Amino acid sequence: MTNLNAVDGASLAEEARIEHNDVVIGKATIILRRFVRNKAAVAGLVIFLALTAFSLVGGLFTSWDKATIDPLFIAEPPSSVHWLGTTQAGIDLYAQVVEGTRVSILIGLVVGLLSVLIAAVYGCTMAYYGGRVDKIMLFVLEALIMMPALLVVAVATGSGGGSLRRDAPSWLLLVVVLLVFSWMGTARLIRSLAMSVMQRDFVKAARYMGIPPRRIVWRHLVPNIGSLLVLDVTRGVTAAILAEVAFSFIGIGIRLPDVSLGVLIGQSTAQVSTFPWMFWSPLIVMLLLTGSLAMMNDGLRDAFDPHSSSVGKAKRSQKARAA
Amino acid sequence: MLKYLLKRSGIYVVMIFLTTSAGYLLAVSALKPALLEQERVPRPTPEQVANSFRLLGLDPNKNTWERYAEWLGAVVTRWDWGRSPNGAFINAEFGERVWVSTRLFLASIILTLFIGVALGVYSAARQYKFPDRVITSYSYLAYILPAPVAYFLVQLGAITINEAAGKRIFFVTGISTPGVDAGWAQFVDLVAHYAVPTFAITVLGWGTYQIAQRQYLLDNVNADFVRTARAKGLTRNQAISRHALRVSFIPVAQSIAFTVPAIFAGGFFAEKIFAWHGVGSWSIDSIALQDVNAATATLAYGSLIFAIGAILADFATTLVDPRVRVA
Repeated sequence: MTNLNAVDGASLAEEARIEHNDVVIGKATIILRRFVRNKAAVAGLVIFLALTAFSLVGGLFTSWDKATIDPLFIAEPPSSVHWLGTTQAGIDLYAQVVEGTRVSILIGLVVGLLSVLIAAVYGCTMAYYGGRVDKIMLFVLEALIMMPALLVVAVATGSGGGSLRRDAPSWLLLVVVLLVFSWMGTARLIRSLAMSVMQRDFVKAARYMGIPPRRIVWRHLVPNIGSLLVLDVTRGVTAAILAEVAFSFIGIGIRLPDVSLGVLIGQSTAQVSTFPWMFWSPLIVMLLLTGSLAMMNDGLRDAFDPHSSSVGKAKRSQKARAA
Repeated sequence: MLKYLLKRSGIYVVMIFLTTSAGYLLAVSALKPALLEQERVPRPTPEQVANSFRLLGLDPNKNTWERYAEWLGAVVTRWDWGRSPNGAFINAEFGERVWVSTRLFLASIILTLFIGVALGVYSAARQYKFPDRVITSYSYLAYILPAPVAYFLVQLGAITINEAAGKRIFFVTGISTPGVDAGWAQFVDLVAHYAVPTFAITVLGWGTYQIAQRQYLLDNVNADFVRTARAKGLTRNQAISRHALRVSFIPVAQSIAFTVPAIFAGGFFAEKIFAWHGVGSWSIDSIALQDVNAATATLAYGSLIFAIGAILADFATTLVDPRVRVA
């Protein structure tokens, strides 16, 4: 006997949807909302954008530039003429900090974005083809990890660079070297994650259906490791900024007359107690920069994580109704 | 297990050979010690320079491949890594510097690992409570500070303590004071020299392990097998320590392989700032002094350290992960 009035699941869901007036929210909107909900992440984004703006237009507010020497103010503390004081050479520190911030952000963004791109292509190729291709590519990867970046940085930006050093600014050389040595760890991580995705049934199904590799990678692989890629961009940017500061701090990497935050911090360490402003102002700018990226990192992880417990009013009002 | 380890070691030996060779070729073609000799007073003639370098086995007139073959032959047959432009033997100097580096880093690496993992477990078990917030925020602070700047700040702190106390409690540079009597005085001197670098490397290093361990443990705390363990009657702490902890330690163990060379590179900053003349600072000095053989030797050492770290990581994985079986 058939019950004509049997309630079928689909219509019930439809009814419930109309009743509660639910709306289907797109993935991008959910991610954006989750990100906005994390106050620290938004603060990080605001600070990062403010610093970028500062580095681009900050130079317009002062009449000094990074090369002009002011003989009346040599190693003077901050004043109304020189907002962050001057160096021993009599150069305005504010102008130098603006320039240094720009160079540091530039290095960070270029290295962070490109290294993740290289790592994603390399790692996905390894995971997709597997077997012998994977073995050979892994061998190359590990050999590159073994090569200490330090040696190459020193050779490229130091005396060994020769003609290269004359033709290219030192920040460009540093970008190239950091790029060559920064993508391997990420590539390994992406490879292992992509491999576990390749084992899943939906990828197998797609393969048996004869879908071309390129489409499988784009449709199934990349969305599943997307959160990792986004995270690695911010992580890569932070790492590149830190590496620049570290290398320049000890005198390899960027060299005067090019300035970066690392150069500014490094050149002032010998006289911290006599000229504290020369040390602390670039250091604080650098901490704001890396700190804002770290704050964003946490929010991004939450936003892209499919198991995120970051839920807004919806869940809360539901809980309240249940109670 | 033994067979597997031997196979891995074999692969790494090939890899070390390749990176070292690449490093040597790079160094030979980029470093020109003869240019530095021109700054000597009185300035030696080019013939004198070429002659003295030929005696040291650094003949600048030979081409890259001839020098490579000669160098490789000496390393393989006599384990002779060559000489520096100033005449020093690489082997002798290397032995001394490895010992300095090991003393500087061994204690710090072990402390870093244990403190980091312990704090990670502690904070994961108390997610979003006050101790977790404090510990994790600290780790992020350590993460956003570049190593040399952080070491420098620790150094400044130690100097402030010395000034406040009115006497020299901590030594911020160097390994030991020459001419201290053996026994108790020597021990105090030793501790006073070790304290600042070890402290600096440890407090800066544990953050990465803490964040990683906390993250992986949190991923596993709500897994089905932990719930099963709870359902069997284990307390939360027992379930975490017996089941979740083991699984969550696997990726951390894997990451050790990559932090060992990172510590080596970071250690280079530590050696520079605390003026311990180990392998790390040698690698950079050798480039400044255009010393081909020393630069290659430090590179080979770095590769070796990485290989040891990678094999240790594999070993640790098989220890903690019951699913991994290597025959």
